[in-house]
Amino acid sequence: MMNRMRSFRTYGAIFRMRRRMETQYRGAVLGGVVCQVFFGLVLIAVYRALYTGNPQPMALSAITTYVWLQQAFFRMLLASDPDLMEKIRTGAIAYDLCRPLSLYGYYYARILAQKWMGSLLRALPMILLAILLPPGWGLAAPASWAALGCASAALLMGLCCVSAMENITMAFTMRTLDPRGVQAMMNLLMMTFSGNILPLTLFPDRWQRVITLLPYAQLLDAPIRLYTGEYALEEASRILAIQAGWTVILIGIGAYLWRLNQRRLIIQGG
Amino acid sequence: MDTLRLYRKSMAMLLKSQMQYPASFLMQTLAQLVMESGELMAVILLVDRFDHLNQWTAGNLYFFFGLMSMTFYLTECFARGITGAFSGMVRSGQLDTLLLRPRGVLTQVLCSAVDPRRITCIAVGTFSFGLGSRLSGVAWTVEKALIILESIVCGFWLIMGLFMIEAILCIHSVKSIELANALTYGGRSACEYPIDTFPRPLRMLFTVIAPFALVMHVPAAWVLGKPLFGWPGWTAAVTPMAGIILFGVMYLLFQRAMRFYRSTGS
Amino acid sequence: MAFIEVENLNKQFIIRKKREKGQLMRPKEEISALREVSFQVNQGELVGYIGPNGAGKSTTVKILSGILTPDSGCVSVDGLVPWADRKAHVRRIGVVFGQRSQLWWDVPIADSFALLKEIYHVPEAAYQARMGELTEALQLGDLMRTPLRLLSLGQRMRAELCGSLLHSPSLLFLDEPTIGLDAVSKLTLREFLQWENRQRGTTILLTTHDMEDITALCSRVMVLGHGRKLYDGELTDLLARYDTERIITARYEEEISGTAWPEGCQIRRNGENWIITYAPKKIPTAEMMARMQQAGHLRECTVQPQNVDRLIARMYQEMEL
Repeated sequence: MMNRMRSFRTYGAIFRMRRRMETQYRGAVLGGVVCQVFFGLVLIAVYRALYTGNPQPMALSAITTYVWLQQAFFRMLLASDPDLMEKIRTGAIAYDLCRPLSLYGYYYARILAQKWMGSLLRALPMILLAILLPPGWGLAAPASWAALGCASAALLMGLCCVSAMENITMAFTMRTLDPRGVQAMMNLLMMTFSGNILPLTLFPDRWQRVITLLPYAQLLDAPIRLYTGEYALEEASRILAIQAGWTVILIGIGAYLWRLNQRRLIIQGG
Repeated sequence: MDTLRLYRKSMAMLLKSQMQYPASFLMQTLAQLVMESGELMAVILLVDRFDHLNQWTAGNLYFFFGLMSMTFYLTECFARGITGAFSGMVRSGQLDTLLLRPRGVLTQVLCSAVDPRRITCIAVGTFSFGLGSRLSGVAWTVEKALIILESIVCGFWLIMGLFMIEAILCIHSVKSIELANALTYGGRSACEYPIDTFPRPLRMLFTVIAPFALVMHVPAAWVLGKPLFGWPGWTAAVTPMAGIILFGVMYLLFQRAMRFYRSTGS
Repeated sequence: MAFIEVENLNKQFIIRKKREKGQLMRPKEEISALREVSFQVNQGELVGYIGPNGAGKSTTVKILSGILTPDSGCVSVDGLVPWADRKAHVRRIGVVFGQRSQLWWDVPIADSFALLKEIYHVPEAAYQARMGELTEALQLGDLMRTPLRLLSLGQRMRAELCGSLLHSPSLLFLDEPTIGLDAVSKLTLREFLQWENRQRGTTILLTTHDMEDITALCSRVMVLGHGRKLYDGELTDLLARYDTERIITARYEEEISGTAWPEGCQIRRNGENWIITYAPKKIPTAEMMARMQQAGHLRECTVQPQNVDRLIARMYQEMEL
């Protein structure tokens, strides 16, 4: 038990260190934010044009809100750790094996920190900007205070979930010599089914019944729908339960894969 | 002529070097296919829900998407040196090596990379273009084919010119060059849709500064029989030249930047 | 007129420092990379160019090879101004950067050479003749079909040299060509450079931190520090100025102690060895020897000059570099 506690403290330290590292690249963050805002404006312009003369059950303001929140937390979806990939490729990962930690926990803490700080740094200025935009272009207020609370909780769950997903990709990366192809595929699945390319709310209604259950929809789509009120408050506990379920399953799979990797690395000597 | 010969020889060598890893190459080419199909899928799903965009039918939209996709990825494929590696070369100091050889710097940059993986993206674009033209009932004539060809060629120069901005900024050691992406990748994403989709500021941006509208939308709209802004037919043949003009401007700016580079040695 | 003429060369760089708290703009600082540097090099000379890091060596090489434009001063290489007639000029020079490759990573080196032939417009007959010569001298024959990435560091450097020389330049710049090479590769490389210099009369300008490169290859050496030329002449003359110390390594039959060594010499003990550093001008060698005899039964002893790297370090120190 004591041991457990101590290792959790270690993961906490790793988390805090990576979080500090993320805050160092402020220049790059600014450029990224401006770019992201630009993409958001373009997308909203397209949806506005599509809406004229084509009334839809879903309000335009819900779509613009969806777009802004997607853009703001875009960083959360991206593979966050190129130097870790490089480490795997060059075999420098052998150093990490020497640490008295489980590889899974070590990487999970790293990934979580990067996604948390990386997206928060970008999201805050973007959300501020999006609030200032004229109605019909900008970010609408949440359905209610309670909806905002539920959405925040769901976003945190989504963060845990996406980190677990990335850790699985990472575990797979170790087994293939050239991971770029696999990564591109995973990336596409992520961008499509998390609602980044096209809001999931605009997918054909029949499809939505299935894709909202996929883990991808738990990352950003679920929190956003709670925010806009499309998911009623009564549904919040069900949504959070789905998210938690996926997170547990994905962590389980990831931890299992990393254990296999670790065994293989030790046997083969990297 | 001589430059073309060097380009051909370089391409042959680069292709050979990429084929050293056939499995990886195949996998990535496939990944490109899936990715571009995903983009097309988004348009198809939008059309499925909304039916049309202003005056443009589903077929029209596939037509615009296909034209952009073909042009953009042709450029990415054959001018990868400029669209991909250029700013990295400035940062790593690789540009010095190019200055040590008795050829133009831009020629050498162009000869430094090729990206045959994009062939699948070009295929998706061509498919979308063909589908769009069928659904829109375009009656092809030699004139129309020539106009589209002109649009693609001029688009090639336009996109190269836009990608040069990043390298030029890099030479002047400007930080946050991600902004240049708004014009290149942002331009691609936006101008998959016809220009009248956008409000005035964006419309100005993509007409005057990064003239995708002049190079692609004006001729495409004419071929579809719905001329943009009610402009007369001959404009479809003239406006694409804007791409070449933009490239020319960027070329001059690049030459100036090179003079700056050689006096500061960044 | 000499082959290379450099007169009053000046070059400044503006460095932007990191912004500190309370400053809006990052402060600028001007750094003189070169100040009034002048020299001449004749055709066929093999000149070493040394100086501590940041002395302006690579700035000079970049100006001479046409990559950089100086702020003021004249340069002419074989009648051409490098930065003004870049294309004509670079056709006649070859450059090897020890830490940067100009060949293509994933293709057999023969293919890289074929493309360089294209870039430099080398006629087929001249190319064949030159390649035959170079592959033999650099022992590249068996490696021609091997991609660069599979070559060892030494083999890679030989391939780089071949690439830089296949258009038969009359002037060759070498920037730390032996960095990271093993002893055999270093020797091969030096032999080749001597061969190229004698055989074809290629003028070679060599910057390096490896003093053995300089002693083995160059009779003339230029020292650069803080952007100024501090010395230009024979290497032996330069070393003689600082070569004021001798080192004696001695072993005794028995344990010695309580010996009164003369004032002004340094004594160090390393196991059984006594290492004595002294200046013969202050303490004549005869006196030193006599003292050592008195100390005990001398089993063996050697007298050596100071190590070249130490001399250079002392020189830099005295020139306040």
